[in-house]
Amino acid sequence: MIRVLLADDEAMIRSALAALLRLEPDIEVIAECADGEQAVAEALRLQPDVCLLDLEMPGLDGVQVAEKLNRSIATRCVVVTRHARPGVLRRALASGVSGFLPKSRGADEVAAVIRRVAAGARYVDPEIAADALSDERSPLTDRELDVLRAGRRGETTGQIARALSLAPGTVRNHISVILGKLSVGTRQQAVLIAEERGWI
Amino acid sequence: MGSVSSRAEPLAPVELSPGARQLSRGITATWWYTVTAVMFLQIMLVFAWTGILAAQGQSGPLILVVAVGGLVWCASTALLLFDYRHRVDAAPGFRWGRIAVPLLVAVAYGAAAGALAGSWQLAAMPIVQSVVLLNWPRGIRIRVVVAGTLLLLVLALVDSSAHSFGAVLAWWVAVIYTALFPVMTVSSLWWWDVLVTLDRARASEAKLAATQERLRVATDVHDLQGHHLQVIALQLELAERLLPSDPDAGMEQLRAARVSVDDARQGTRDLATRFRSVPLGDELANARDLLTAAGLEVDAAIDADADSAPASALGPVIRETTTNVLRHGGGARARLVLTRVANTWRYEIANDVVPGAADEHDGSGLDGVRRRVEEVDGTLEVRRDADEFVVVVTVPARSEQTR
Repeated sequence: MIRVLLADDEAMIRSALAALLRLEPDIEVIAECADGEQAVAEALRLQPDVCLLDLEMPGLDGVQVAEKLNRSIATRCVVVTRHARPGVLRRALASGVSGFLPKSRGADEVAAVIRRVAAGARYVDPEIAADALSDERSPLTDRELDVLRAGRRGETTGQIARALSLAPGTVRNHISVILGKLSVGTRQQAVLIAEERGWI
Repeated sequence: MGSVSSRAEPLAPVELSPGARQLSRGITATWWYTVTAVMFLQIMLVFAWTGILAAQGQSGPLILVVAVGGLVWCASTALLLFDYRHRVDAAPGFRWGRIAVPLLVAVAYGAAAGALAGSWQLAAMPIVQSVVLLNWPRGIRIRVVVAGTLLLLVLALVDSSAHSFGAVLAWWVAVIYTALFPVMTVSSLWWWDVLVTLDRARASEAKLAATQERLRVATDVHDLQGHHLQVIALQLELAERLLPSDPDAGMEQLRAARVSVDDARQGTRDLATRFRSVPLGDELANARDLLTAAGLEVDAAIDADADSAPASALGPVIRETTTNVLRHGGGARARLVLTRVANTWRYEIANDVVPGAADEHDGSGLDGVRRRVEEVDGTLEVRRDADEFVVVVTVPARSEQTR
């Protein structure tokens, strides 16, 4: 039997999926969680074979849960999403997620992926992979992204400069190049664009 | 469905086009033009004052101080102009650490030149000019300019009553030129500000076009969903009626409803990705990033000219094969190559195979790839070596048609 933990903040979908998975002879749903924190706590307690995690959850999202779990226990994580935002597959793969599929897949397909992942393989849905491949590339250099990242919570130029060990003038130059490349007026707008497109 | 697709018209691209890039180069050029103009005015003014003092028969060292000091002061204003250019986050204000040195230079030069030449106006000129160049808030600058101009005019009158050189015509030219100097400088900078504002407006126009496109897609999605939901509702109602009397027919309707749901989803996705295409080089760079993120050691050799390879043929191939490596590759290494060999483009993707692992490569995906490649007279080669799975695609190079 494959012991599965299910985490999704939408109760209807969670219970329907749990009911459908319980119909599979070799799958046992051992926990249903409504958010990321609960999923981490339950997974640490129950040590499931596979965790099926919704990407969009309040608090910790699916990838963050997977990252936490992969550091502490030997479970394999599958992330499910309604809409894969740019950059999320890369982030998921880097945090050791074993499977990634859209929510639109039927329960039989989900079950097949759970079996495959439980056997040690990795599964990435073709649709999600195709989306990730057509992500818009960031026109910003690594250094410019560092500057945006260091200033994403409204830090001052001086704070960014200290965080990155740069001269304030250099940071200002980077920022004015960033604003030019993204055609926006303020650093906050640049941060929003970069976050929206998964660059930082 | 016809109503949905008929509304899809080709759109102007909203991404940064080569034209926009050219425009941003033009803006940089205009900036240098503005700086040159301001600097030129300043140097001319220093030159004029030096000439007047020389014509008056002043001593050599004095003239030298006014000329050399003037050039040093001009250089110091370059720092102020540089600051002006890099006003970020549109917040006016002074960073004293950066403006202190140029201001001190201006004061020192004004004091020295003014005292030596005995002219109040010459003393005030560099200070007024440097102050005008500061990053004043909108509306304040104009007051600074008016005050500076009035000050220079008053000082010119003071000078003319105190000295005899009021009679020299050249002196009057220099005086008027000096008094108008702040106005000329600020009009150059104002012109630059207008240009920047225009550029921002152009950018928001592009964003507006993108927003309008989104609205149009939203309408299309609404139509499409409405249609499918109606069909699904009918199928479910039919199933509800049929199930008690004819379970088989009822089940048939339920399955049909599931297919309708899938159609609706696929249609929505097609709409959302209708205009989504990235250059081939970006797609390969994304592929490399994804494989690296998945923990593979990626060896990529991508032709610098990759964007000119036929994207309509190679794009789907790259998507399919990368997904295959991501899905199946339990391995540790991958190789991505796109090269141009004579008149063909050669794409190769290889990944190491875990010894003893079951052959999971299903042919169906690659069959689709083969069909696409053969449509453009290309070839597909799939090779499974002892420790490596390799897919090689070659397509003839020719001018890329619209995708």
